[in-house]
Amino acid sequence: MKNVAFGQYYPADSPLHRMDPRAKVILAILYIVCTFLCKNAISFACLVLSALVLVVLSHLPLRLILRSMRPILFIIVFTSVINIFMTKGEHLLTPADWRIKIYAEGLWNALFMVLRISALILGTGIFLTYTTTPIALTDALERLLSPLKKIKIPVHDFAMMMTIALRFIPTLTEETEKIMNAQRARGASFSTGSLINRAKALIPILIPLFVSAFNRAFDLASAMECRCYHGDEGRTRLKVLHYRASDLVAVLLMLSFGVGVFFLNRLGIGPHLS
Amino acid sequence: MDKIRLENVSYVYNRGLPFEQVALDNVSLSIRAGCVTGIIGHTGSGKSTMMQLLNGLAEPTSGRVFLDGYDINAKAEDLYEEWSALPEYAHLSKGARKKAIRREVARRRAELCFRVGLVMQYPEYQLFEETVEKDIAFGPRNMKLSEEEIGLRVREAARFAGLDEELLQKSPFDLSGGQKRRVALAGVIAMRPEVLVLDEPAAGLDPAGRTRILDGILRYQRTTGSTVLIVSHSMEDMARYCDDVVVMGDARVLMQGERREIFSHTQELTDAGLDIPQITHLVRLLRERGVPLPENIYTVEDAVLAVQALFAE
Ligand SMILES: Nc1ncnc2c1ncn2[C@@H]1O[C@H](COP(=O)(O)OP(=O)(O)OP(=O)(O)O)[C@@H](O)[C@H]1O
Ligand SMILES: [Mg+2]
Repeated sequence: MKNVAFGQYYPADSPLHRMDPRAKVILAILYIVCTFLCKNAISFACLVLSALVLVVLSHLPLRLILRSMRPILFIIVFTSVINIFMTKGEHLLTPADWRIKIYAEGLWNALFMVLRISALILGTGIFLTYTTTPIALTDALERLLSPLKKIKIPVHDFAMMMTIALRFIPTLTEETEKIMNAQRARGASFSTGSLINRAKALIPILIPLFVSAFNRAFDLASAMECRCYHGDEGRTRLKVLHYRASDLVAVLLMLSFGVGVFFLNRLGIGPHLS
Repeated sequence: MDKIRLENVSYVYNRGLPFEQVALDNVSLSIRAGCVTGIIGHTGSGKSTMMQLLNGLAEPTSGRVFLDGYDINAKAEDLYEEWSALPEYAHLSKGARKKAIRREVARRRAELCFRVGLVMQYPEYQLFEETVEKDIAFGPRNMKLSEEEIGLRVREAARFAGLDEELLQKSPFDLSGGQKRRVALAGVIAMRPEVLVLDEPAAGLDPAGRTRILDGILRYQRTTGSTVLIVSHSMEDMARYCDDVVVMGDARVLMQGERREIFSHTQELTDAGLDIPQITHLVRLLRERGVPLPENIYTVEDAVLAVQALFAE
């Protein structure tokens, strides 16, 4: 717990870090659409290329990116196996008398699915998690969804709740750790004994944690009221988001990438996703 | 005899991440048994981090921490060679010996937090029970003591911490900040630790509250002969309560030694962003002007006595 920075934002100064968070949300959505548009070997090759470009642009260490893939390793292996053994095609690779039949189409399908899932994770990770702080992300979502205010959806209030929650996650993590340490110093042990005993051992942590969380919540509410916070109406912002030319260029590039993929799929060369 | 010894201890937070932070940098230190040692240093100098290494809450990134000459983070495998020769293990077969050593290391590890009682910085937040009495009993209960013994210790600890008998039945959440602090202190004293480590026990209290809590700690030390470590920012408190002083700065130990010796290094203390006690400073200025006062005066009371003696002559 101690060594994980919340939200996994990786501080760096890269073109992607500097980009407007709204543009990044749009780019992430477009990128996801692109990964689903890819249908044949050439377009998947382009997808891999685009992923590499993103990695380079983000200035993230490769180690971090590989680590972000670890949780989906199981899904990758699972889909590959399913695809390899379940796809029926024309080019049988195994001897005809084997009971297990593997087709070339199956292998290609497996490869394509793995690439698609990886690109999906990589793209959302790079655009939304690693280069954008959670706070900036909420801000961006609020602005992008603000048209919904017209139909009386309290977008601002949801965004504010989200921001506050995100703001306090590291604080509460730190506090939990402090309380655990304090109770451990009095001989509490959280990792031994029966399940019931372990659940009981949480009481000395949860009670102080809730008490302080409530106190913090009351304090924060008072502090916000003291500064005349009264919701969205007429509120101005400290950090006003501005689209820049580069954001527009990036979105246009991504759009053309999508269109390119769309046409590449029509080329009848190479293996297809079946 | 050294009660606690630190050997080339380093501690790094968030190792390998861009916000890596070296909190302790190759620190070596020894703490005399049965003394009150004060730890001072500017904010962020690594005092709290060091305190958490002493009772095994955190393990040093490198280096070793000894309590009574025993490396508290020792692994059973590393001790196997050395302990095999001991009479209690020598007669055992190899497998049984390994097991016995492993059990002994685990026992020492579990017992560590009872032997070295740590009162964390701002300990008010750790209270959770329905009554003060139950909260103080949390530590002794974890030691699996009898109910009778627990009751005894709770009352004794409450006395040391300066808590009135009638407070014991109140909810800890209804107390004032200073009272909560004393409950937390009592919760640790109730374990009767041989080493009592206090991270800024008096921070944020009024002068009366400070004296009350620090006097209680001193009383515990005198009664039980235990070793006490007090982290503090206040030179006045150091001067009044400590036998030895350790000065920290930027993750290192700058000076350690007896109080008199440390306070004579005025310049070094000032460089470390600290100060000598005001009364010591005053006496020094008076001496420079030819008033024949003794040099080693650290508390106002001593100064009063010295001045009275001077007038009596
Ligand atoms: N949980 C943590 N995660 C990361 N860094 C930490 C953590 N705790 C402390 N540090 C860092 O380690 C260094 C030493 O901190 P420490 O709390 O030991 O200082 P201190 O001497 O106790 O200061 P103070 O007098 O303010 O209590 C500081 O630079 C601090 O920023
Ligand atoms: Mg501290």
